[in-house]
Amino acid sequence: MSLEIQNLHVRIEEREILHGVDLKVSKGETHALMGPNGSGKSTLANTIMGNPNYEVTKGRIVFNGEDMTEADPDERARAGLFLAFQYPATIPGVSVANFLRLAVNARRDEPMKVKDFGKYMRENVDLLKIDPSFVSRYLNEGFSGGEKKRAEILQLAMLKPEIAVLDETDSGLDIDALRIVSDGVNALSGPGMGSLIITHYTRILNYVRPQFVHIMLDGRIVREGGPELADKLEEHGYDFIRKEVDDADGH
Amino acid sequence: MATSPPATDAWLVDLRAQALEAYQREPLPKWRRSGFWTTSLRTLELDSLQPRRYEPTDVLPAPLVAALGGDAVGALVVQRGASTVHVEVEEELSAQGVIVSSLETAVEEHPELVREHYMRRLSHEEGKFSAATAAFWTGGAFVYVPANVRLEKPIQTVYLIDEGATAQYAHTLAIVGEHSECSIREYCLGAPIEGQALHAGAFELYAKAGANVKLAHFHDWGPGEIYDISTKRVEIARDARVDWVPVHLSGRLTKQTLDIVTAEPGSDMRHTGLYFTEGNEHLDLFTTDRHEAGHTTGDTVWKGALTGDSRASYEGLIHIVPNAQESHTYLQTHQMLLSRKAKGDAIPSLIVETDSVSASHGGTVGELDEEQIFYMTSRGLPRSEAVRILIEGYFEEVVQRLDDEGLQSLVRRRIAEKLGDADDQVAEFIGERA
Repeated sequence: MSLEIQNLHVRIEEREILHGVDLKVSKGETHALMGPNGSGKSTLANTIMGNPNYEVTKGRIVFNGEDMTEADPDERARAGLFLAFQYPATIPGVSVANFLRLAVNARRDEPMKVKDFGKYMRENVDLLKIDPSFVSRYLNEGFSGGEKKRAEILQLAMLKPEIAVLDETDSGLDIDALRIVSDGVNALSGPGMGSLIITHYTRILNYVRPQFVHIMLDGRIVREGGPELADKLEEHGYDFIRKEVDDADGH
Repeated sequence: MATSPPATDAWLVDLRAQALEAYQREPLPKWRRSGFWTTSLRTLELDSLQPRRYEPTDVLPAPLVAALGGDAVGALVVQRGASTVHVEVEEELSAQGVIVSSLETAVEEHPELVREHYMRRLSHEEGKFSAATAAFWTGGAFVYVPANVRLEKPIQTVYLIDEGATAQYAHTLAIVGEHSECSIREYCLGAPIEGQALHAGAFELYAKAGANVKLAHFHDWGPGEIYDISTKRVEIARDARVDWVPVHLSGRLTKQTLDIVTAEPGSDMRHTGLYFTEGNEHLDLFTTDRHEAGHTTGDTVWKGALTGDSRASYEGLIHIVPNAQESHTYLQTHQMLLSRKAKGDAIPSLIVETDSVSASHGGTVGELDEEQIFYMTSRGLPRSEAVRILIEGYFEEVVQRLDDEGLQSLVRRRIAEKLGDADDQVAEFIGERA
């Protein structure tokens, strides 16, 4: 059970953003993908989920042994992939609860009974310490940054994907919101889920401890390692890594 | 040309004669807007459409039964073609002094009440069809709620067209007395007809001081070739409030002027509209939120969607007259195109002739947002379902403002049906862009 990115090249409009990315995330593992703004992190996240604005020109996305490079986003979702968006879209007129019910039922043969769904939703709302009135609001409409991220984590909790990609889920959060989101991710992580946490900062890594750290610069993964790599980054910053990479290229 | 029905009262005979003179003088109108939008009646065979009379009946017509569902109403006036065919008023309402009848009957039985209000805000000098309605109306509806009455169940008026080659000249006069609260619903319904039909309508509501009125207009003329050319006007007196919801779901050609007037200090309007056109329908709406006095408030939201080859134009004007200081009002309009061939516009505009007011407006014409579709599909919803949910959600904000469960479920059901009918072309349109 794994997501494998193989030599992925991605273009948006006429510009190539990813120049050959390889990455493997297996169920039960927690990975961090780190990189400065513009390095291609969000492009990777969107491409993994099948955003039609991004064009794969080379390479493959393989999920559980199946080539998903050309699959529609809903097929990927039903297969067990999930993306927590950096900027989730607002869906006016559709309540959080209604949307969750539609999404949960989209991956089931028989729709869940209304009563069972209500119970299931309440359990998750409690688990993530979310105000119950939250679910009757229209999805993301008028939500604060923290509320949007909470709505993403609630969906993650209820959809139970095999592999979750969290795109800058920590950005724009105050420390309390960051803790709630991190607690949520920790509660959901385990043998049943693999996650790829995409972040610019090391901040979230104080709360969610990854086993693997990948550093992306200019559309390529340039360093890989364990948690110590994040610590090094914290200490020296991206410029240090960039210099190392440039020096290595110089040889 | 239609002939005027007999009127027993001299004042009405006189008004009808003046209107007939205007009708004969006025040319067939053509409405031009913004330089490129035209509503023309060149396909309307006006001379071949005649008023048709029907006998009264206890059996409600099928389109009405379908629209009402299980809704309980306090009073009901049904006009089919040129005739009032059914009137029922709960005893409890009559005991409170509420009058609901055809306008013809009211002219005979309550001449003072009618005469005091009749066409106070309407004129037969507003073009050929205003003149036609004033000259030729038959049947009609009259609603009078005396002061200090609070009604739970809605008062329902209905105009039904179920035969071709007919003309329906309609007039509803509604008066809600001081500090009274009620809900008035007017349904304009059509059956699938052969050939053309015309509904030329006038509607006027006077909400007296301190009254609180919920008013809904539900238009669903069906797939037949029904032309609707109407003027509706609402006047709100001191400290009164009217919450008005016009809904347009079908009709070959609709040209309506909808005006809501906050006439005295403290009057408050909420105005919420919805339209959904399909096929070769043509819809042309002009609404005015008119503030005639200071310290008045308004809040207008109109949303529409277009499929097929349909045309829809919405123009919403906020007009604040001199001396109406401290008016606060807001208008927003949105339109969504759901097919390649549909064309529309949504134009908010503003005339402010005084200072110390707040008036803002905004308008958008757009298509479904790919980001929203991607978001929903990334959660496992197939693209077509995501699109359907987004459109239903788009309308839901307006449906919520209906504040009438029966009407809400009717509107939701009809939107879902219309989306079902348009499924293939919407999918094709949305697919083309993917």
